[in-house]
Amino acid sequence: MPNDAPRESLAEKRLLKALSEGDPNALGQIYEIYGERIFRFTYRFLGNRTDAEDATAETFLRVLRRSAELRADGAFKTWLFRIARNLCIDKLRQHKLLELPPDTPLEGSEERTTLRVTVHAALNQLPQEYQDPLVLCDLEDLSAQEAANILEISVPALKSRLYRGRKALRDKLGSLMEGT
Amino acid sequence: MKTDLHKKLVDLYAGRELPSELNEDLEMAAFNDAELSHDMSTLRQTVDLLKNDPGPEFTEESYQRVLMKIYARGGNIEPRAATPIHMQYQLPMQG
Repeated sequence: MPNDAPRESLAEKRLLKALSEGDPNALGQIYEIYGERIFRFTYRFLGNRTDAEDATAETFLRVLRRSAELRADGAFKTWLFRIARNLCIDKLRQHKLLELPPDTPLEGSEERTTLRVTVHAALNQLPQEYQDPLVLCDLEDLSAQEAANILEISVPALKSRLYRGRKALRDKLGSLMEGT
Repeated sequence: MKTDLHKKLVDLYAGRELPSELNEDLEMAAFNDAELSHDMSTLRQTVDLLKNDPGPEFTEESYQRVLMKIYARGGNIEPRAATPIHMQYQLPMQG
């Protein structure tokens, strides 16, 4: 697994170079690699599929428009998530979409779905500065360094927010935590 | 003093980031400290709930709609080629 990283970054480097040279296949391949993660991230942020699809499309359009500035130094993923996050913040400001997702998919057992809805409702009630690290590190499984880069804060600050966010979420979930 | 250190380690314990030695040390300490024990288990459950969340499904419909939106806004994008029908199922002769 650790050996895959250099190969992936080399492939990514080639893709970014091709994109900056206007190769239409390159954006398609970048979308293949990151489309799902960006969609999931924006969905979690915005809470509904339509807005998430819109933000995902806009994220890749911004990549295309700024392809000349692309740096193939490994910071691409961070940059991509940062674009997506900024778009989500703009969308939330525009639409004030701070409610629970109306179209939360009903997947799995009823009990499991109820749990997911409860967790997401509690997560959405947290201040944004706590939500961000929880979404990036615990839901999207990014490293503390990557999350800190996306949020443009230091790693210690990220870890502190993550800790406080976890505690705040735990406290919001309260009785659910006692019962599980 | 030791208790303060344990409290600081709880977050790492919750995220399963502690080396096994410290993990055991903390679990031992929790036997005699109900508050620490409660903190450790509830925080770990919270992190597990998040980490095990499969997240929203990126359906084929969503994949296609995003592509269409990119096209519609002028993005020149080459999507993945659909698998030809004859390649979707293994024939007995293909093994």
